[in-house]
Amino acid sequence: MSSHDVMPEMSLYQPVRVEDAIGIANQFADRGWLVGGGQDTYGWLKDRAKSADALIDLKGIESMRGITETADGIEIGALVTLTEIANNPLIKERYALLSQAAVKVASPQIRNVGTIAGNVSQDVRCWYYRRGLNCYRAGGNLCYADTPEGMNREHAIFNASRCVAVTPSDTGPALVALEAQMVIDSASGQRVVSAEDFFVGPNVDITHTTVLAPGDILTAVRIPAKWANAQFFFEKVADRNAWDFALVSLSAAMRVNNGVIEESRIVAGAVQATPRRLTSVEQAVRGKARDEATANSVGNLASRDANPLNYNHFKMPLMDNLVKRALRGQA
Amino acid sequence: MTYMHIGKDFTPPDVEGKVTGAARYAEDFKKDGMVFARMLTSPIPAGRVVNIDASAALAMPGVVGIFTADDLPPSAPPANPALAKEYVTYIGQPILAVAAESDLIAEEALAKIVVEYQRRPFVVDPLDTLTEGGPDPYPMGNTLIRNSGEAAAGTTASGTDVGRIKWSIDQVTAFRNGREPTGAEFGSEWEYGDVAARFAECTTVIEEPFVTIGQPHHSLESRTSMAYWENGKCYFHGSLQSHTVGHDVLAGMLEIDPANLVFINENTGGGFGSKIFPYPNMAITGRFARQLNRPVQLRITRAEEFFIGSARSGMQGWIKIGLKDTGRVGAVDVIIVNDAGSGGGGSGGSSAEHISIMFQPEAMRFRGVSMYTNTTPRGAQRGPGQNEMAAVLAPMMDKAANMAGIDRVAFRRINAPRADGKIGERQGGLSSSYMPESIDKAAQMFNWEEKIAKPRQISATKVRGIGVGQGFHTAGSNGYDGLIRIAPDGTIYLHTGVGNLGTYSYAGITRAAAEALQCNWDNCVIVHGNEALNLPHSTYQGGSNTMFTETRSSHVAALDIIEKMKEIAMAEFGGTIDDYSIGGERVFLTSDSSKGMSYGEAAQKAIEMGGKYSGMEYPDNIHRTTQRSVQAMQGTGLIGVAKDTLPREGAVPGMAIAFVEIELDTETGKFDITDYSAVAECGTVVHPQGLSQAMNGGGVWGFGMAAYERHVYDPQNGLPANVGLYQSKPPTYLDVPVTMNTAGMDLPDPQSPVGAKGIGEPAQGCAVAALMSAFTDALDGHLFNRTPVTADMIVNHIAQNGHNTGNLKTNTF
Amino acid sequence: MEIIRYRRDVWGEEVILGVSWDLLWVIAVTAFVLLAAHAIFMAALAKKKAMPSAQGKRVKRHEGIDRAFHWIMAGSVLVLIFTGIAPIIGLRISWLNIHWIAGLILSFVCIFHTIRALFWQDFKSMLLGPADFKEPFDETIKPGKYSFEQKGMHWAMTVLVIAVIATGITLFLHIDSPWWDRPSVDNEATLGVFFLLHGISTLGLIAFTAIHIYFAVRPEKRFYTRSMVQGWISEDELKANHDTDKWKPE
Ligand SMILES: Cc1cc2nc3c(=O)[nH]c(=O)nc-3n(C[C@H](O)[C@H](O)[C@H](O)COP(=O)(O)OP(=O)(O)OC[C@H]3O[C@@H](n4cnc5c(N)ncnc54)[C@H](O)[C@@H]3O)c2cc1C
Ligand code: SF4
Repeated sequence: MSSHDVMPEMSLYQPVRVEDAIGIANQFADRGWLVGGGQDTYGWLKDRAKSADALIDLKGIESMRGITETADGIEIGALVTLTEIANNPLIKERYALLSQAAVKVASPQIRNVGTIAGNVSQDVRCWYYRRGLNCYRAGGNLCYADTPEGMNREHAIFNASRCVAVTPSDTGPALVALEAQMVIDSASGQRVVSAEDFFVGPNVDITHTTVLAPGDILTAVRIPAKWANAQFFFEKVADRNAWDFALVSLSAAMRVNNGVIEESRIVAGAVQATPRRLTSVEQAVRGKARDEATANSVGNLASRDANPLNYNHFKMPLMDNLVKRALRGQA
Repeated sequence: MTYMHIGKDFTPPDVEGKVTGAARYAEDFKKDGMVFARMLTSPIPAGRVVNIDASAALAMPGVVGIFTADDLPPSAPPANPALAKEYVTYIGQPILAVAAESDLIAEEALAKIVVEYQRRPFVVDPLDTLTEGGPDPYPMGNTLIRNSGEAAAGTTASGTDVGRIKWSIDQVTAFRNGREPTGAEFGSEWEYGDVAARFAECTTVIEEPFVTIGQPHHSLESRTSMAYWENGKCYFHGSLQSHTVGHDVLAGMLEIDPANLVFINENTGGGFGSKIFPYPNMAITGRFARQLNRPVQLRITRAEEFFIGSARSGMQGWIKIGLKDTGRVGAVDVIIVNDAGSGGGGSGGSSAEHISIMFQPEAMRFRGVSMYTNTTPRGAQRGPGQNEMAAVLAPMMDKAANMAGIDRVAFRRINAPRADGKIGERQGGLSSSYMPESIDKAAQMFNWEEKIAKPRQISATKVRGIGVGQGFHTAGSNGYDGLIRIAPDGTIYLHTGVGNLGTYSYAGITRAAAEALQCNWDNCVIVHGNEALNLPHSTYQGGSNTMFTETRSSHVAALDIIEKMKEIAMAEFGGTIDDYSIGGERVFLTSDSSKGMSYGEAAQKAIEMGGKYSGMEYPDNIHRTTQRSVQAMQGTGLIGVAKDTLPREGAVPGMAIAFVEIELDTETGKFDITDYSAVAECGTVVHPQGLSQAMNGGGVWGFGMAAYERHVYDPQNGLPANVGLYQSKPPTYLDVPVTMNTAGMDLPDPQSPVGAKGIGEPAQGCAVAALMSAFTDALDGHLFNRTPVTADMIVNHIAQNGHNTGNLKTNTF
Repeated sequence: MEIIRYRRDVWGEEVILGVSWDLLWVIAVTAFVLLAAHAIFMAALAKKKAMPSAQGKRVKRHEGIDRAFHWIMAGSVLVLIFTGIAPIIGLRISWLNIHWIAGLILSFVCIFHTIRALFWQDFKSMLLGPADFKEPFDETIKPGKYSFEQKGMHWAMTVLVIAVIATGITLFLHIDSPWWDRPSVDNEATLGVFFLLHGISTLGLIAFTAIHIYFAVRPEKRFYTRSMVQGWISEDELKANHDTDKWKPE
C-alpha cells in the first residue's frame, strides 16, 4: 500500500454549456467524473481510492450559477457555493433553514468552493470506504463497519442494508424539509425529482447515494414557496464546531399558526444513508402547540425503530433531544 | 529585578516569514537535478516481506532507483527501522522508497511494485497481548526488556530487546474491571515511603480504573527531507524540533564524519516531541542521495506522517489514592499499562512522576508495563505521561477532595510542591517551586470563590462545570555551549543551535545574552537554522527545557565575550579586569568611561590579537560541533564561546495551573468554555508574548486532548481510522474560547541566570486536567475515568443507556 | 470479457470477488438463441403428430400438496432470480430482504419436498438410471411417470437449487438478519469463493429455469403444465406419453 497524495494523470474537460457537459459525461460514462468545487472529488482521486479517466469540470457553465427568484420560490444554480447560500439575503430571509445548514458545513475554506450540487451528491464518509477498501459500497462483498468489532461510531442507526454508512450532507436534510426539487439534465432531457427521492439508500442502490446516473447533471435546485418564512429549526451536532461532519443533524420546517403546528417536515441527517424524514413525529405534532409540552410528548418517537451498532447508541438520545429542541422552539 | 530585555516583548525574526508565507520549510528546498522519492508502506499490521518485485516500476521512464531495507544497516526489534523487512509491525510501516524524476512518476511507480508478504497474528490493544494466550505484536514477544546495557545484534536502541510479559485471564479481568491485578508481573516498579502504613492512616481512600487513548502527533509539516552531496559533504534539509544536538546522530545514521554534514532547518512546522532527535527515515534521504548521486527529496505525505510521525502512548491503569484527615495525600498506588505501539515506549514512569510532584504523596508505589501493539510507533508527545495522567487524575483527585470535604483548590494548595518539594522515585529535590503562589494567583484571576458558589444548573438543558487542573514537566537541563560573535561593525551575532519549532524559544534564549551584554536589540542578529552559518552545540528541545538550559548557555557565552572585551580593553588601557564595566555597547574603565572602546572596536582588536579572542583558540570542553563553528569563524571578529558549567541541582519543574468554567449542553453533550484562566510557574517570564502563545497553544491542545483528539484502530484488521488530520479531530477555532487569560508567576528560579524555566508541556497538562475536572463537576461528580470525553459519551451518560466505551479500552472511540 | 471478478482484500491481496455478470448476458443470449432455434426446428421439422386428447378419463399425476410445493418453489426461484439480477441490471428496487425471504421459503419448501419425496412419494419414479439414457434415442421406449427429460430437468434443478441455497445461506449468514448480527469476515478469499459459487449456480439456475419454462409452454408439453396446475392428465395423454407398465397411476 502506498500513501498517495498526487493527482493522478487524467484528462480534464472544461465545458461551458450543459449540453457539452452531458455529451462528455455520456462519452465517458462511468469513467467520467463531474466536478464542482472538488472538495469531495479530490480526496478520492488523490488517495487513489477511486479513479476516473476524465474530470469534467462544470465550473465554467454560467447557466448553472446564481440564485434567482421564480414564480414559485427560488432556483439555486447547481454551482452556487455553500458560502453564497449561507450569505444570500433571499435565502436568509425566506428559507433560513438552508442558509443555517450551509453555514455549518465543513470549514470556511471548503464552503467557499464547495457547491450545493456537490454537497448533496457527495459520497458517504465511512472511513473504511474512504480508505479505499473494497466494501459493498465500493462494489465488494462485505462491510467492514457493521461487524461485532467494527468501529462504527459515526454510522447508521436506521435502514441499513449491508452498508451502514450515513449521509454526510448538511444541506440534504434541509432541502428535503423544504420540499426542494432537484433539476436533472441528461441526454434524454430534463427531469425534476423531489429532494426526498433524490437520495437513495443502500437497499436500493448500494454503490450510489443519489439517483444520478452517469450522464446526469444536477443543474439546479428549486425551493418551492410553500415553506417560505415558515418557522425553521436547524442544529448540527458534530464532535467539533467546524471542519467536522454531523453526528446527527436535524432540519425542521414548521408551519405554525396561532402557536399551533399545522404542518411540519422534520428531517434528520447522519442517521441513515439518506436524509431521514421523521414522519411519525410530524404526524404526532400536527395540530399541537410548538412548546415544551409537545416536545416532551414525542418522547423517543424519532429513535424508536433504530437499530444501533457497536458504538453509535448515542445517536438515539441525541436525535430525540434534537427533535425536542426543534419542537420546543428553543435550545 | 529590572531587566533591559528579559520580560519584554520583541519580534522574533521568523514571525514575518510565517505571516507572509515566505518562511521556508524542508519541502520548499529544491536543487538542480533533484529526484523525488516516495515510500511504499505496509498494508498488513504484522508479518514479513517475502519478496519485492520492482522490475515493472524500474522499467518506467523517469524512475531512477529503489531503496529497500537491504540498503540500510541491519536493525533488530525493538528498534524502529526506517524500512521494514523481517518485522513488519504496523499498517503504514515503510517498506521501500522509489525515486523518480517527478512526484507523479514516483507515485505511479509505487503502484507497479509487487510486494509479497507473509502475515503474522496482530494485536491493537495492550491488554489483549498482555493476556495469556493473547497474540504478540512481535514473534518474540510483546514488551521491551532492558538487557543491562547489552544491545541485541544490530539494534540501534542499545540495551533493549523484545521480551514477553503475560497476565492470567483473572488478572486482566480484574484490571479491566478496575481492581488491582494481584500478583501480576511488571516491567518497572518503584516505591518510596511505607505505602501500606500511610494508607492505613488515610481517612479517605478511593480506587479507580482509568484509560487514556493516544493521539497522533500529526505535525502540520510532515517529515519531508531533502539531501544532496557536494564535495564529499552532505547538505541535509530536514525538519527537527531541535537542531545541532541532532547533528552527530544524523551523521551516524549516514555513517559519515560529522564534519561532513551540514544540517539546515530554518523552520519546523511542529514536532511536539516527535522530532526531538533525527528519526529513522532521514537515513533514507541521505543514503539514497548518495546512492543515486543526485539530490533526493523524500516527500512524506499526510498519511505517512500519521504512520511514521509518532503518537502519544495511551494508558490503561488502576489507582488507589489515600487522603489523611488533614487533606494531605498520604499514599498513592498506581499501575499503568502503556501502549507502546509497534515501537517506542510508554511513559508510565513520567505519569507517576506527575502524581508524585503535583500532590507530594507521603508514600507512593508505581508499577508499570509497556506493551507493544501493532499500531503506529509511539513516542514523546507534549508532556508524555505527565499530561495524560494530569487529565485522568484531576477528576479523581476532585472526587477524593469532595469525599474528604475539602475545597478542591484548597486541597491542591495543601499538597502543592514548595521549594522543598520532592519528586519521583528517588524523592529528589527541586530547583524552585512557587506552585502554592501560582495556585493562589490563578484562583484569583478566575474568581474561584465566586465561581464555585454559582449554581450548577443554568437552565433546563445547560449545566455549569468548574474545573481545576495542574500540569508539570521537568523544564531544565545543562551543559550545552553558547556562541556569540561581535563583528568589527559592532553587530552582535547571537548564534544558537536551538531549533525553531515554532515556539520562539530559539529567539527568546538569546535575549539572555543581550541582557548580559546590555546591548541594543536592534544591533543583534540571531544566527540559527543553518549549520553552514556556524552554530553551537545546543540543547535537545523536548521537555520544556530550552528556556532554562539555553538562557544559561547564552549567558555563559555572553560572560565569556564580556570578559574577553574587558581583557582587550585592559590591553589598551591597563588596570585589572575588575576595573572595567560595560554599557552602551562599550567596554570602559569604570572609573573613567572615556577610556574604553565600542564592541565593534573590541572586535577589530580581537581580530588583530588573534588567539582566543578571534576564535583561533577555544576551550576544549566545548562540543565538536561548536569547535567546528568557531574554527569556521576564526579571525572574523570577537568570539565568545563557553560551555555551561554553572551549578545545577535537583529537578527543574515547569508547572502550571488552570481553571475552566464550562456550560455543558445536556441534550447534545456539547460545551462552551466560558472562562479559562491559567498561570504558568515558569520562573521569570522572558518573553511575555511567547509565554502567552505557549499557554494558549498548550491550552487549545489540552482541550483537544480532553474532548476531541483520538487514536482509533479497528481490532479486526489493524486499520487506523484517523489517518487524516480531520479524522484525528484537533480542536478548531470554534471549539476554543476567544480569549484565554494567562499569566506567568514570574518569580525567578535561582539556578537560571535570568530566573527562567520552561513551560511547554504543563501549558497543555493544566488545560486538559481542568477541562476534565469541569466535566465531572458539571455532571454531579460523574467520573468517565477516560480521556477524551467526547460528546457521545456525555449523551450516553445522561441517557443512562450503559453504552459508554468502558472496559479500559485504548485505541477506540 | 471476464469470467471471474477479482478485488483487493483488506490486506491488499487479490481475492475472488465473484462471477462476472457479463456471463449473465452470455447465458441470457445463449439460452434465448438455443430455445428459439429449438422452437423453429420443432416447428419446421417435427412431424405433425396428432396431440392426445385431454378429454376422457382423468388420471391423477400430482397431488395437491406437491403442486403447491412446485409452485411455491417456482415462485421463489423466480423471485430470487428477479431480485438477484435487479441490482445487476440497474433496476432500483429494495431487493435484498425479498431475496433472502424468498431464499428461506425455497429452502423450507425444498426440505419438505425432499422429506415427502423420500417417505410419502414414489421416489424411485424420479431416479435416473442407465436405462433412462436410451429413451431419447429409441422412440419405442416410453417412460414411467417421468420422462428422461423431466428427470434430467428435475435433477439439474435439484443440484442447482441446492447449490444456490447452500451458497446463499452462507452468504445470508454474512448479513444482518432478524436472528443474528453480521460477523467479521476473517478470510475474504473464502467469502469470494462463496460469492463465485452462488453466482455460477445462479447462472445455471437462470439457464435451466429458462429451459424449464420454455418446455412448460411448448404445445406438446403443455398438458404437463396443466397437470401441475390441476393435478391430472387424460388417459389419452398418459398412453401417448407413458408406459403404463412402468407407471400405474391410481
Ligand atoms: C474535511 C472535510 C469536511 C467536510 N465537512 C462537511 C460537513 O460538515 N458537512 C457537509 O455537508 N459536507 C462536508 N464536507 C463535504 C463537502 O462539503 C462537500 O464535499 C462539498 O460540499 C462538495 O461540494 P463540491 O462542489 O466541492 O463537490 P465535488 O467534489 O465537486 O463533487 C462531489 C460529488 O458530486 C458530484 N457532482 C458535483 N457537481 C455535480 C452536478 N452538478 N451534477 C451531478 N453531480 C455532481 C461529483 O461528481 C462528485 O461525485 C467536508 C469535506 C471535507 C473534505
Ligand atoms: S458502511 Fe458502507 S461504506 Fe462503510 S464499509 Fe460498510 S459497506 Fe462500505
